[in-house]
Amino acid sequence: MTLYSSTMIWWMVSISWSAIFLIVVSFYLYWKGPRPQSESSQGIIGKAKDFIFVWILTSLLVLYIYTINYSSAVIFAAGNIIVEVILVVYTVRNRAKKT
Amino acid sequence: MSAIVAGFFEIGQSIAIIAMMLLSVVLGFYNEYKAEKIIDDLRQSVSLKAVVTRDNKTNEIDSRLLVPGDLVSVYVGDIIPADTRVLECKDLEVNEGTLTGESFPVEKKCDTINLDHPIPQDLTNCLFMGTVVVHGSGRGLVVSTGRRTEFGAVSHSLARARPETEFQRGVRKYGNMLITLTLVLVIAIFVLNALVGRRIIDSLLFSLAVAVGLVPELMPAIVTISLSHAAREMAKKKVIVKRQVSIEDFGNMDVLCTDKTGTLTSGKIALKSHLTFGDDAQLLEYSLLCNSAVVGEKVTGNPMDSAIWEYAIENNLQHIIDSYTSIDEVPFDYQRRMMSKIVQRNGQNRLITKGAPESVIPKCDYVSVSRSNGSDSEGETIDHFRRVLEKELIENSKAGYRTLAVAYRTIESKQGYSVEDEKSLTLLGFLVFTDPPKNDARLALDRLRALGVDVKILTGDNELVAAKICEDLSLESTKTFRGSDLTAMSSHELREAAKSATIFARITPEQKLDIIKALKADKHVVGFMGDGVNDAPALFEADVGISVESATDVSKDAADIVLLDKDLVVLADGIEEGRKIFGNTTKYILMGTSSNFGNMFSAAAASLFLPFLPMLPMQILFMNLFYDVANMTLPTDSVDTEVTQLPRRWDINFVRNFTLFFGPFSSLYDFLTYGIMLFIFQAPAALFQSGWFVESFWTEVLVIFVIRTRRIPFVTSRPGKWLTILTLSCVAVGTIVPFTRLGAFLGFTALPVHYWLLLVLMVATYLLLVDAGKVFFYRVCKF
Repeated sequence: MTLYSSTMIWWMVSISWSAIFLIVVSFYLYWKGPRPQSESSQGIIGKAKDFIFVWILTSLLVLYIYTINYSSAVIFAAGNIIVEVILVVYTVRNRAKKT
Repeated sequence: MSAIVAGFFEIGQSIAIIAMMLLSVVLGFYNEYKAEKIIDDLRQSVSLKAVVTRDNKTNEIDSRLLVPGDLVSVYVGDIIPADTRVLECKDLEVNEGTLTGESFPVEKKCDTINLDHPIPQDLTNCLFMGTVVVHGSGRGLVVSTGRRTEFGAVSHSLARARPETEFQRGVRKYGNMLITLTLVLVIAIFVLNALVGRRIIDSLLFSLAVAVGLVPELMPAIVTISLSHAAREMAKKKVIVKRQVSIEDFGNMDVLCTDKTGTLTSGKIALKSHLTFGDDAQLLEYSLLCNSAVVGEKVTGNPMDSAIWEYAIENNLQHIIDSYTSIDEVPFDYQRRMMSKIVQRNGQNRLITKGAPESVIPKCDYVSVSRSNGSDSEGETIDHFRRVLEKELIENSKAGYRTLAVAYRTIESKQGYSVEDEKSLTLLGFLVFTDPPKNDARLALDRLRALGVDVKILTGDNELVAAKICEDLSLESTKTFRGSDLTAMSSHELREAAKSATIFARITPEQKLDIIKALKADKHVVGFMGDGVNDAPALFEADVGISVESATDVSKDAADIVLLDKDLVVLADGIEEGRKIFGNTTKYILMGTSSNFGNMFSAAAASLFLPFLPMLPMQILFMNLFYDVANMTLPTDSVDTEVTQLPRRWDINFVRNFTLFFGPFSSLYDFLTYGIMLFIFQAPAALFQSGWFVESFWTEVLVIFVIRTRRIPFVTSRPGKWLTILTLSCVAVGTIVPFTRLGAFLGFTALPVHYWLLLVLMVATYLLLVDAGKVFFYRVCKF
C-alpha cells in the first residue's frame, strides 16, 4: 500500500482525460478542416495512416499508466526512448513528403 | 492588499509575492516605456513645419516652436499651426471641420469683426489651429499656441477616432477569449477547492495565482517592443512610423493603392517640349509668370512649375519676365485644376492661366496663331483647332507625357480678381513634361507581387498616361475605370470594380475614399500612398496610410507611415518587417494559450484530488516571472521566410484550435509528473512541488523552440541568438533554484538524481510529441 494509493484512480482519470481530449480534438480538426487529398488518405488503411500521431499518443498513455501503476522506472525509460525514435521518424518522413 | 495577505501568510512570503507581482508589472512597464520613447523620437522627425517671419527673416520651423507674435504664412494643404489673426489673404478658404464639424470650407478675410461674444464660426478673420487650408493663401499674426488655442481647449472631445485596425480588432477578440476562459477557470477552481474543504483564503490565493499564470500580462510589452524594434529597423531604411499599431497592418496589407507621380515615376519632372501655334518665347514667358515655384538658391515647390524654371535657368532665360509687374493671383485648387496670374506691362493687364488641358481648353474661345510679321492674333476661334489639339493630347498621353495648357486674355484693372475672370481665354499652347518611371520601380513592384500585394493606381491623371506607366513597369493592368464610370455605380458594382481594376484614372478625392472603403468592405487590408491635400481622406480611411516627407502637412498628418525617400522598394522592406512582427506576436500568443494554459489547467485539476496544493501561489508567481523574462527577447527572434511570403490575418478560430490542441499536451505531461512524484517517489508536498515546478518550467519555456516554427527546430529553422541565450539561461536558473536558499525560501527542496534522469526523457518525449502534433495540426488547420 503506497502513500497516495487512494489518489491513483483520480490520477488515471486525469491523465486519460487529457489524452482522450487531445484525441477527440484531433478527430474534430481532421473532419472539420481541409482533408489531406493525397492517395495515401484513401481507404481505411490510408485514414489510419493519417492518424499515426493519435496511435502514438494512445500508446504513450498506455505506457505511462502501466509504468506508473507498477512503479517501473526502467520500462518507463525504455518506452520513452522507443517512442522518441518513432516520433523522430514520423516527423521527418511527414515533412519530407510535404516538400 | 498587503495587510490581508500578511494576515494569512508570513510577512516574508507576503513581501515576496508582492515583490514578484510588482517586478512583473515593472518589467512590462519599463520595456513598454522604452519602446514608446523610441517611437516618439522617430515621430518627431516628421513633425509639422510652419513658414514663419521673425525679424524680417522668413524661415521654416517646427510648428511647435511658434510663439504669439510670430507672423506665419499658410498655403493650400497646410494645417494651421496656431490660432492666428489674418493680416493678408488671397482667396483663402479653410476647412474647419476638425473644430466645428462643418464640412464646407469657410472663406477667411482680414476685416475687423465687432462682436461681444463671438464663437469660432463668427471669427472669419481668424485661423484656428488644426484646421486645413483648402484654397488660397494668407499671412497672419499668431495670437495663441498649443493648449491655449481653441483646438487645444477642446481637443479631447474633438479628436477623431481612427478606424480600428485589423490588428487591434484581433487583439481585442483574443483578449475577450482569454478573459472568458480565465474567469470560468478561476471561479471553478475557487469554488471546487472550497468545496473539497480547503481554507477559503488558500483557495482564493491559489485561484488568483492561477489567473496570474493564465493572463499573458507581457502581451502589451511584447507587442510594443516588437513594434518599436520594427520601427527602428524601418527608420534605418528611411521609413518613419507615426502610428506604431499600423505596422502589423502594414505587414498584413494585401492591396496597395498608390498615386502615380513620385511613387511609380521618378517625380523629377522635366520640361521636354512644347507645342504652340503662336509665339514660342511668349509661351515660356507666360509659363514663368503664371508659376507657383519658389525660386531661391534652389527651385522648390510644385514639380511642374519648378521644371519650367529649371528649363529657363538652364537656358539663361530667367530674366525674360523682368519687365512685368505682378498684380494679383487666383491660386490653384484641385477642383479647377488650374491657376491664374494677373500681370502688367506697358500699362496693360493680362490674365494668364495655366493648368490641366481638360480644364483650361473649355475656358478658351481662341487660339493664338503666329502671323508672318511675328505678332499674334486672338481672332482664330478654337473650334478650328479642336481636333488637332485632342489628337496632340492623346498622343502625348499615350507616350506617358504630362501636359499643361497655357492661355491668356487682356483684362481691365480692378480691385480684385477671381475664378470668374477665367473665361474667354486665348490658348497659347501646351507644355509637355516627362516623368519617367523610377529605375527601381519595376523591382519594387516585383517584390510587392511576390509578397502577395496587389498594386492599384489611383490617379488624377488620364488613363492613357497611367496605362503607359503600367506598360513600362510590366504592371499587368486588368481593367481601367475613369472617375466618370464610377459615378454611376452602385455600391456592389463599385466593390466589384475596386476588386477587378488596376487603374482608376481622373478620379476625385471622394472617389479615392470610396475605392478604399469598397476594398475594405471586401475584407482586404488596404494601404494607400499619397502626398497631396486631396489624398488626406483616403490616407485616413486606409488601414495603412503612407505619405512622404515632401507631402502636404495635411496628408503627412493623416498618414500612419512617412517615407523620407519616396521609394516603393522600402515599402516591400516595411511589409516584411510588419510580417515578422506579426509572426513573433503570434508566437507569444500561441505560447501563452497553449503550454501556459495547459499548465494552469492541470494545476487546477490536481488541486482537487491532491491532499496539498500542487504548487504554492508564490511558486506559481515565481515561475510566471521567469517565464516572462524568457519571452522578453521573442520580438528579436528570427522568422521563417514562409511567414513573410504572404499576407496573413488574425484568425481567432485558429488561436482557439491551437489552444484546444496544444494545451492538453502540457496537461498530459503535468499529470505524468504528478504520477511519477506521487507513485514512484512517494513525494511529500515540498518534493512534489519542486518536481512539478522544474518539469513545468522546462516544458513551458523549451516548447517555444518547437512552436516558433513549422519547420524542424534548430535543424531547418534556427531561433534568434538572444532568444536562445535567454531561454536556456532561464532554464538553468529554474533548474538550480530548488537547490538554493531562495528555493528553500520559496518552499522547494532538492530533487533526487533519478528524477532528473526521468525528467530529461520525459521532456524530450514531450517536445518530440508536440513537434509531431505540429505536423498533424498544420496538415488539417490552415493559417
